[in-house]
Amino acid sequence: MTRVFVFTNHKGGVGKSTSATNTAYGIVSMLRHAGAPNPRVLLIDTDSQAHATLVTTGTKDYGADNSLYTVLMADRQNAAQTLLRSIVPSTWDADLHVLPASTMLEGAERELNGLAGAPYRLADPLNQIANRYAAIVIDTRPSFSLMTEMGLITATDAIVPVEPRYLETVGLMSVIGKINEIRDGWRQPNLRVSGILVTKMNTRVRGHKYLLDELKAHSVLGPLLLGVVPVNEAISYAHQCHQSIFTYDPNAPASKAYMAVIAKLVHSLVPGGAA
Amino acid sequence: MKRQSHRIDELLDSVTADMLAGGQPQFTDTGLRVERLLLEMVRPDPIQPRRVLPEHLHFDFHAGRMTPTQALRGLVQLVQVSARQRGRPFSNVLELLPNPDDDAPDDADVLLSPEEQLLHDLVNLAVTIRDDGQVNPLTVVDVSHGVVQQFRIETGERRYWASWLLRDFIPNYSGDGMIPCIVIPTENTSVFRQARENTARSGLSAVAMARQAALLLLTVHGYEIPDGAVTNEFYRQALDLDLRTKREFSEVILTAMGGMKRAYFSQTKNLLRLSDDALELADRHNIEEFKLRHVLSLAPEYHAEVVRQIIDHNLSSKQVKELCEANDMSDNNDEFLEKLPALAVKMARLTQTVTAMSANDVARALIRQEGDADIAYARLQALQRVISEALQVLSAK
Repeated sequence: MTRVFVFTNHKGGVGKSTSATNTAYGIVSMLRHAGAPNPRVLLIDTDSQAHATLVTTGTKDYGADNSLYTVLMADRQNAAQTLLRSIVPSTWDADLHVLPASTMLEGAERELNGLAGAPYRLADPLNQIANRYAAIVIDTRPSFSLMTEMGLITATDAIVPVEPRYLETVGLMSVIGKINEIRDGWRQPNLRVSGILVTKMNTRVRGHKYLLDELKAHSVLGPLLLGVVPVNEAISYAHQCHQSIFTYDPNAPASKAYMAVIAKLVHSLVPGGAA
Repeated sequence: MKRQSHRIDELLDSVTADMLAGGQPQFTDTGLRVERLLLEMVRPDPIQPRRVLPEHLHFDFHAGRMTPTQALRGLVQLVQVSARQRGRPFSNVLELLPNPDDDAPDDADVLLSPEEQLLHDLVNLAVTIRDDGQVNPLTVVDVSHGVVQQFRIETGERRYWASWLLRDFIPNYSGDGMIPCIVIPTENTSVFRQARENTARSGLSAVAMARQAALLLLTVHGYEIPDGAVTNEFYRQALDLDLRTKREFSEVILTAMGGMKRAYFSQTKNLLRLSDDALELADRHNIEEFKLRHVLSLAPEYHAEVVRQIIDHNLSSKQVKELCEANDMSDNNDEFLEKLPALAVKMARLTQTVTAMSANDVARALIRQEGDADIAYARLQALQRVISEALQVLSAK
């Protein structure tokens, strides 16, 4: 079964899009480097701001007939075919494909509300093509909206990016609780929280260090710690250049940190690999 | 950019075995794997010598002018017209199957047109898939390019069309639009395996065999095999090629063609000399090679007509041979005939029908013509002299 990683947190600005895009690209690079026969990864942008779409495809000019919106609104029998047609190549790598977001997703939630089977309008068609990809990465919007629920229903692994700040870490348990609620409520036994990714870590800030130590020591959250990505200006510049952090500056501390996280994820993709 | 990728490689190299928690991952490609693929991702091979759809639908579909559903609708409409003309109209494809509750006599003896037979077989297959599932997966080759995910069918095109028929034309379909396929790695594809699969089954027409022979010859001679549908001209390039120029492939080609003898391989390939219309007719009606070979002696403009005669009158090989030789005389020896007196030609033609008249009738007809029995007698004696002399000429030759 293809692993579907969803990056989610109802707090904005924690690095969901940055983590999702760089993780997707990193998995492609690492799988190819390791000689995997199929290194293809699909990045799905469910955020109407379309930041992940913009940096990976160079444009966010997608609309009613070539984006995730098209898939959600498609006749259910043709949804998988519509999905295939809506996937676009990324400018980062030939094996990184993107299902772009569109500003129309904002209205999609209203249009879908009340429609039978609305939460499965992404999962159902995606299930039909998922085996073509080594992994699928989903970027979500900063809220627990219908669109985020769709992403979670589709996913096998939820990764929660979080800044090492007091209020964010306090809210972590509620984020995890919400994910578990969706798993049980929508009967998605494959969904689990497989990692907490600490982002924008500044070791010179005493509060960051303190909170990271607290997190590591926590009985539930500690074992879930997937990695720590330092605060790094290179990330902003990479965004500006519409490049991955690995292409912009492979030696940047953030590149190395993300690569370590990706190595763990790739290991989990190998049959028999640790999750 | 090159420098950048080099730097990324360094970073990737730095991901040590420790980071990967237990060593470099092993991605073992097992070679053959069965996957459930979305029907839309699968496409028939346009070069496949065994064509399922009628020719005009085949070309429109492979040129992208028709979706699979439209191509099938075209086939259904074609069959509806043909069935109506034969007094067997239907509105739902399921009506093509015999009704088990119907007490009417079994119409197994009813001769179906090739299109009716094809649709009948596809509906039968679709119903089997609906009731028992797709037990036998298709074999496909991954020909995905960029974001276009596509698999080309190596074997199982009829199951592919039956699955579409089931999805779009048979009520109460409850499937998910997926089809089980054995995915063959691109590097393991082989025209020889495809040929073996084709020739191992019954029902491959002589024309399809000719195309198959041509495809193998063209492949071993290094011709570029196009990605799209091809006309008969593509296959006819093989008429100038033979096994002798590629002796190292002779055995594998003949084996792939079902253990064919060298001479028969050449005869089969020669069928590509038939005109386009004749090829289409012969392919649709599954006319055997031993009948078609005689048609080749005629000028191409007569090929389709003779093939039509074979179909309409169910001619035997011997009858086809006689028909073609008779035509051959009148068509190819005109110059010779012009130099002979018209009366002599008439006399020669008369000999072809001599068994159809009685001696008594001839005598009575002569008396009526001459008005006198003695004169009639003299005429016949004169004819007898001519016949005797003609016999001497023939015996001298």
